[in-house]
Amino acid sequence: MIALQGVSVKYRLVEERRRSFQAHVINYVKGKRVVKHILWALRDITLEVGQGESLGIIGPNGAGKSTLLKVISGVMNPSEGMANVRGKTAPLIELGAGFDDELTGRENIFLNASILGFSRREIEERFDRIVDFSELKEFIDTPLKHYSTGMVARLGFSIGTEANPDILIVDEVLAVGDAHFQKKSRDKILTFKDKGVAILFVSHNMEEVRNLCNQVLWLDHGRVRMLGEPEEVIAEYEKEVAVGGSVRTL
Amino acid sequence: MVNTLEEAKEIFRYRELLRNLVLRDVKIRYKRSALGFLWVMLDPLLMLLVFYVIFAGLFGSVGKYSAYLMSGIIMWQFFSQGTKVASLAFLQNRNLINKVYLPKAIFPLSVVASSLVHFIFSLVPLFIILLSSGTKFGINLALLPFVVGIVFVFSLGMALTVSTLAVFFHDVVYIYDVVLLGWMYFSAIFYPVSILPQKLQVLMSLNPLYHFISLFRASLYDPTLLTAEHVLSGSAFALLSFLIGWGIYYGNRDKIIFYL
Repeated sequence: MIALQGVSVKYRLVEERRRSFQAHVINYVKGKRVVKHILWALRDITLEVGQGESLGIIGPNGAGKSTLLKVISGVMNPSEGMANVRGKTAPLIELGAGFDDELTGRENIFLNASILGFSRREIEERFDRIVDFSELKEFIDTPLKHYSTGMVARLGFSIGTEANPDILIVDEVLAVGDAHFQKKSRDKILTFKDKGVAILFVSHNMEEVRNLCNQVLWLDHGRVRMLGEPEEVIAEYEKEVAVGGSVRTL
Repeated sequence: MVNTLEEAKEIFRYRELLRNLVLRDVKIRYKRSALGFLWVMLDPLLMLLVFYVIFAGLFGSVGKYSAYLMSGIIMWQFFSQGTKVASLAFLQNRNLINKVYLPKAIFPLSVVASSLVHFIFSLVPLFIILLSSGTKFGINLALLPFVVGIVFVFSLGMALTVSTLAVFFHDVVYIYDVVLLGWMYFSAIFYPVSILPQKLQVLMSLNPLYHFISLFRASLYDPTLLTAEHVLSGSAFALLSFLIGWGIYYGNRDKIIFYL
């Protein structure tokens, strides 16, 4: 499903000040060349995730986890290497990135599902299931600005899971809603796994990674630090965290 | 060439998103105001009033001056509002573009499409003015979809250009504002071209909006404005704008993400 081969992603960091004409002109007149710092957000990543497999991605902030997800979801092309991703990807990343406060829950379902590439008919077919799962039936015609954070997240999660994806991208979202909904969403993700959906799971919660994943990737400064059995990788990771103390754990 | 078609197909695949984005624009813009969507129609009427009070004394001799003004105003707003808002299309949707794969051109496209919707609504007050000044519509009215079509294509090209450039140079947003201001005064919205010195009149033929507005007036009430020059130049500018805009967007579309 997902096969990455030697994938690298290179950012050219240009100082913020230079991103204006004025700065460009001044520098040009002064004869300065624009200094571009090159940052490798990912370096030489090779991995495979098959049907029904779930890969946990761990590492400190800035290790390249989000960039890796961007490459897999097709948002970003690798600067080097090959990214082969087959199937429909649904991101549960930061739920509701496409929500609009002024629109009602109903309108937001249509907007957000169409962001995932659905046609109107497909959305209408799924509409009731989305509303049921989110348990927001009585608020569905209320503008989102009156929702609590938990309610918004529930709606986002429900839309993402109704996308019937081949690849599900879960970025630190299981801490959504109350305990009841958290359990519900965890169960939902497990049923996906059983259905053969490949899951990419980014989390700082090692307990959850251990429970959900059968493979764990430890990213460090854009490189693969370790890739293998959850127990092994997590044990090593936690050892380093305990020593370094700079890495956030939950 | 093949890839360009692929991108166009992707945009078509996401047409439901396009529809929802336009709907959202239209709903949100007028949800909070008491008069709601009526503002779409009131806005050009109020502008008309202002222009009329100031300029009727100077240019009142222009035939059907209120129709002249109104057609110029709403055609100008169609183009300028659409492209002005579109200049921020990628920047304002950076959250989404960063998280989900989408054919990004859908954002500037949806802004121009919303502007088209507003334009269509503002045809209502325009037709009221035309009818009240005793206009008898002729066969030229059939030209209207063509005129709207080329302005749409022209605006889309411009929107793609400024929205893409604005990602790399934020200044483009501000520069474009100023450009629009000057452009408006040079588009014969409230004065007849005949008052301009010969030199400027020649320059005017390089102003796409002049051709668009003239064709618009030709289709509504002034058949004498229907000239081959306006039709050919108007179409050529639209095509050119679209090709440039698409080229700039298409050539940079994979780089945009790194600069958002």
